[in-house]
Amino acid sequence: MAKSVLVDLTRCIGCRGCQVACKEWNERVARKTIFRGDYSNPVRLSSDCYTRIRFEEKEEASGPVWSFVKEQCLHCKNPACVSVCPVAALTKTENGPVVYNYDRCIGCRYCMVSCPFQIPTYEWDSARPWVQKCSFCSERIKDDLVPACIKVCPTTTMFYGEEGEVMLEARKRLQDNPDKYVPHIYGEKEAGGTAWVYISSVPFEDLNFRMDVPQVVLPDLTWAYISKVPALFGVVFVAGVTGWVITRRIDAASKEDQS
Amino acid sequence: MTNHWIDLRNSDVILIMGSNAAENHPISFRWVTEAQERGATLISVDPRFTRTSAKADLYAPLRSGSDIPFIGGMINYILQNDLFHREYVRLYTNGPFLINEEFKMPGDLDGIFSGYDSEKRKYDKKSWAFQTNGDGVALQDPAMTNPMCVLQQMKKHYARYDMETVSSITGTPRDLLEKVYSIYTATGKPDKVATIMYAMGWTQHTVGTQNVRAMAIVQLLLGNIGRAGGGVNALRGESNVQGSTDHCLLFHILPGYLRTPVASLPTLEEYNTQATPTTKEPLSANWWSNYPKYSVSMLKAFYGENATRDNDFGYSWLPKLDDGQNASWLMIFHEMMKDKFKGFFAWGQNPACSGSNAGKVRQALAKLDWMVNVNLFDNETGSFWRGPGVNPADVKTEVFFLPCCASMEKEGSITNSGRWAQWRYKAVEPAGESWPDSEIMNELYFRVRTLYEKDGGAFPDPIVNLSWEFGPKDSQGKVTAVDTHLIAKEINGYFLEDKEIKDTLYKKGSLVPSFAFLQDDGSTSSGNWLYCNSYTDKGNMMARRSTEDPSGIGLYPEWSWCWPVNRRIIYNRASVDEYGKPFDPKRAVIEWNGEKWVGDVPDGGWPPLLNPDGTPNPKSMKGFIMKPAGVAHLFGPGLADGPFPEHYEPLECPVQENPMNKSHRINPTAKLFFEEGGDGKSEDVFYTCDTRYPYVATTYRVTEHWQTGVMTRHLPWLLEMMPQLFVEMSIELAAEKAIKNGDKVRVSSGRGEVLAYASVTSRFKPFKIMNSTVHQVGLPWCFGWQYPEDGSGGDSANLLTPTIGDANTMIPETKAFMVNIEKV
Amino acid sequence: MKNNHEIKLMTPFTLFLLLVIGLGGVLAVYRLVNGLGASTNLNDDFPWGLWIGFDLLGGVAMAAGGFLIAGAVHLLNMKKYKPIVRPAVLTAFLGYLLAVVALILDLGQPHRIVYPAVMWQVHSIMWVVAMHVIFYTMTLGVESSPMLFEKLKWQKAVDFVNKIIVPVVLFGVMLSVLHQSSLGAVFLIVPGKLSPLWSTTFLPYLFLASSVMMGLSMVSIESIASARSFNHKMNYEILNGLVRGCIIALLVYLVLKLYFLVTGPGVGAAFAGTMEANMYLLEMVGGIILPLAILAGRNRKTEGINAMVTGHVLVIGGVLLNRLNVSISGMYGFQNATGTTYWPSTIEFVITLGLIALGIFLFKLWAKYLPLFPGTEVN
Repeated sequence: MAKSVLVDLTRCIGCRGCQVACKEWNERVARKTIFRGDYSNPVRLSSDCYTRIRFEEKEEASGPVWSFVKEQCLHCKNPACVSVCPVAALTKTENGPVVYNYDRCIGCRYCMVSCPFQIPTYEWDSARPWVQKCSFCSERIKDDLVPACIKVCPTTTMFYGEEGEVMLEARKRLQDNPDKYVPHIYGEKEAGGTAWVYISSVPFEDLNFRMDVPQVVLPDLTWAYISKVPALFGVVFVAGVTGWVITRRIDAASKEDQS
Repeated sequence: MTNHWIDLRNSDVILIMGSNAAENHPISFRWVTEAQERGATLISVDPRFTRTSAKADLYAPLRSGSDIPFIGGMINYILQNDLFHREYVRLYTNGPFLINEEFKMPGDLDGIFSGYDSEKRKYDKKSWAFQTNGDGVALQDPAMTNPMCVLQQMKKHYARYDMETVSSITGTPRDLLEKVYSIYTATGKPDKVATIMYAMGWTQHTVGTQNVRAMAIVQLLLGNIGRAGGGVNALRGESNVQGSTDHCLLFHILPGYLRTPVASLPTLEEYNTQATPTTKEPLSANWWSNYPKYSVSMLKAFYGENATRDNDFGYSWLPKLDDGQNASWLMIFHEMMKDKFKGFFAWGQNPACSGSNAGKVRQALAKLDWMVNVNLFDNETGSFWRGPGVNPADVKTEVFFLPCCASMEKEGSITNSGRWAQWRYKAVEPAGESWPDSEIMNELYFRVRTLYEKDGGAFPDPIVNLSWEFGPKDSQGKVTAVDTHLIAKEINGYFLEDKEIKDTLYKKGSLVPSFAFLQDDGSTSSGNWLYCNSYTDKGNMMARRSTEDPSGIGLYPEWSWCWPVNRRIIYNRASVDEYGKPFDPKRAVIEWNGEKWVGDVPDGGWPPLLNPDGTPNPKSMKGFIMKPAGVAHLFGPGLADGPFPEHYEPLECPVQENPMNKSHRINPTAKLFFEEGGDGKSEDVFYTCDTRYPYVATTYRVTEHWQTGVMTRHLPWLLEMMPQLFVEMSIELAAEKAIKNGDKVRVSSGRGEVLAYASVTSRFKPFKIMNSTVHQVGLPWCFGWQYPEDGSGGDSANLLTPTIGDANTMIPETKAFMVNIEKV
Repeated sequence: MKNNHEIKLMTPFTLFLLLVIGLGGVLAVYRLVNGLGASTNLNDDFPWGLWIGFDLLGGVAMAAGGFLIAGAVHLLNMKKYKPIVRPAVLTAFLGYLLAVVALILDLGQPHRIVYPAVMWQVHSIMWVVAMHVIFYTMTLGVESSPMLFEKLKWQKAVDFVNKIIVPVVLFGVMLSVLHQSSLGAVFLIVPGKLSPLWSTTFLPYLFLASSVMMGLSMVSIESIASARSFNHKMNYEILNGLVRGCIIALLVYLVLKLYFLVTGPGVGAAFAGTMEANMYLLEMVGGIILPLAILAGRNRKTEGINAMVTGHVLVIGGVLLNRLNVSISGMYGFQNATGTTYWPSTIEFVITLGLIALGIFLFKLWAKYLPLFPGTEVN
């Protein structure tokens, strides 16, 4: 059964326990950072940072609004990255996680280009680099353990469960608290649906969520072309043969004319 | 905490003020969030919009150091609008008590209460007493209309804190003040309850104690103390700071909050007499009347068989303070500066970064002959001799470093803010050559004792007479391995001889079941009476792990153990009416079932005040058993700076004079280390309302680092998130100073300066104080020059903070002072 | 056959080429030893840069001349173009080889370049592309092999290849048509990232169409350059024929581009003044409209050789720009949302230049030692 997570941003206090737990479980080193004026650090997900909290500060008439947004792989139901990988190094497992297999990766980084959320990252500093991203703690899930970031969250910001159950919970919260939440489950439709979905009291565009993510199953866009490849092959073949036959005939005819 | 962490979920209104719980006590938000889910309102009051404010339903800013006007305004709001819980106030507080006619208040005396001696900066509290009848019982007016009754005096006092005045002092917009007041005070109804979560944001002021008192008054007026979801809840800053305070971390107390003896009390009897309160109130249990039982049992634990009735149980071996001596934190380094100390153990602390006016602390350390630094890591204290601006050749102090274990490397208990003593097991072996603190002390004790035994000395008795039964001993009498369980058992206490109490025989050597069994005849021992009941013949109560909650309100009575006697919500006798029925049956803490109390462990098992037929029950006792009159103190004559909290400005503040009076800008009873107009070069110098230091500043912690950062700055993951010292400021101030977000700036006070990265944010706003604009900035104090090793973290913000403390506790005023700020 | 003595290897230009190749080679080794981070400005927001956008996408488009000319001659029996079959096929072969070299340098795990041949993932357009590259490079090898066999005087081998040349060319055409369009299909999955100025489900066919004009322009430039530098006579019949083909391809491409502009983001989007819009305008005007005007309006009486050169160079530049736009500039707005930027590093530039120099040098070497221009008249 596919696992899914509802991230209720109204509950996150920005303590970043998840960020540290992730580093610990996945044995990711820290990098040297500098304080750039706001609390978000590191400034981006990286091969050493699978998840982080983004601090979003906005000024409203009523005063400041400070939101804490957890970033990690959303584990699309039909992941673009999985579909584009030429060697099937990325796979979508039955449990829900999109996982990466080091043994296959050739390092083309098409997964990174294709991801609508800019999630996969690369070990740029290595001479033998790998793609890195949140694995939804797939090894923990296999052992019936809760993913590390969810385990440490003091406010249960993340509701973890079976796919259907999670969507029901998301809808229920929106329905029960129409004044609290904006009526949008981010990830329900984005990229054709993701295993991690978000609800929020602040419009997602104000939190710098990608609002330009197509609400379609992305691999379908490529498949529409690839599925035509054999036919295209055939068309070119037939055209080529026909062209050859016709031009030879014309040639022969002109030779006959000359003779 | 009067209550405990889980209990936060029971609240209807949670006020977080003087604390930033979401950042510094993130786990508390598990329960705060649960309360919010249930419909509770969360209010955040803070100079700065914090991660707590981000989660709050209502945020109100206030200028650092103006908490008493803010809360005083709320008291006024309650009293003017008659919103208090009348029955509660009448039954459980000294609200109806009549105060002496001579008593005068700051409204009459331009900022001070009656009895002030400006020479000594002290009050003569004679006039702060209650009127009594011939038997010495306080006179009361149950209707609380007598103008001299506490409630009416209080009303008069706080009438001065009207909305307009409060707003002009705090800088809080009026509409926000009204909102906070109306939401919070709506819990004066019996079926509503509100709680306060506070921390160092309240205590680290010259009026710190009174900040907390002011809120306690609000909670008493609204009937919120003793109730599930209520109380006055101090969020302790370290996992075991509650435990260390219980076990006498501070100079003025011995374990269990017994008093440190003073030189003028040479005998145990004099000491006990002086420390034991008496009362004539008929319904007062006056629990402290048991004082001699606790002090004698403690001495028996200290000195064992060497403590006998004939030698006052070794009372004379206890260290004594000189009369009136203050030996608090600030004084230690003040005296050290004056060469009064030869040696110093910096045990599990980093004063070179944590001490207010840390520059002075660093100078003081150089006056020592030797210092022993006991810590997980070397720190800015242990390495002060090679710190910034210090030439090692000039420092004569010899420094020793003893590496000790982290909490997870040893077994023992910690006591959390909710007073739960929780037993922890050793998770990993100690790293390297580090030892548990107990082993270091054991070694130290043995060596010192051997020296005394061999060489004698001025006063070997306190050492050579100590009882030290903490494990198997070798041929020389040295404990070879300290057994933490034996320490815990000694803290609980033993019967030292067969003793029959209430028809039950307790055998010699058995553990005392609870402090009610402790004796003043030397037949029992107890290292800390408050913890008597924590380790009994039934086992180690602190190690219990049952998740049963028969109460349904999250008491979990068999999860660990809680002082006193496993009472999870103290003052719970105040959660019921005179018949013992809960004010709020939905959240009942205790209830009288006709025969006994059910629910939490009550504050004494006496029956309710009234019989079912409405007649008074003479067997009953009032619920605030630790108070001589059995009632809570709306009027608190025990404090140094006044029976009612009054606003005084911080030592350094942005206003010329106290807006509440003309003559007393700062707390008139706070000890001054520096006289204005004195030697400008003094390390204790301050500058108030001075154009050189025009901005209010405060210090705080961040989620990512802990205290001075000794433990967290060594963790690259945490440093990655919060790498360097920063200073937060408003967009308006930044514009004035041409500072951009992320710029490097210099923050300076009269005492020092630090470099920090600017965080220009809408989360700080300029304040309108007395019709002028006041800017405030804030910076965390978790950094230090030593780690990270490249020095990129910056230095301690305590280089800026002043040398002055609270009038009662001497907790330094690090939460409000004045600085300048400039772009580097 | 003997060496083509007209072709001088040791010219200052060749030495310059060798210098650039050497520099590129050293930096390529540096790249392999130290990794992508040390040698490129690529980052997590810009995982693809100059090497993919220019070397690979551009290189492959440049090679389109190979299948076009081979197809025209062998399949459509357009004998007129026979003299340029060999240089065209060689260009394609070199173009592919160099694109593969660039790809190897760009791959994080270069030694695993053959993995797609073993680990099939038919849903991946990248896998489709990889298979094409493998097969088409082999096809081009076969198509070019007679030159080597002739030099070695392996007549039997020459005869054998000649016997199978028609199906081989047909296979090559099939692969190329698919391959050129497949490179466009690579960007079908990023409609949210790629600016709508370029993003359309028709992208594969736009790539194919643009590769046709690019291929013809490349062959033209090459013929003119070869004629000049190797001192051959210009074959205006061929050159004019190529121009005609190029004009038709340009017209078709222009119409398609305008159609997708109007039906897509609208004409206004091209004039929005953003970096993307300006790049789009540059591509449209400088790479399509201007060369179309120059090529169509050239003076046929003077044979307009300069106009031809200008027109073809603009076409080539325009298509290269298009590839860079699709792979980099068109996604810039999305990818630099976090503030990160991308501009190729010096190493990326030098290696790219090294690859171009290598291509020219190998072409020259081939022309000198192998029968690249059989039966061409020498001036």
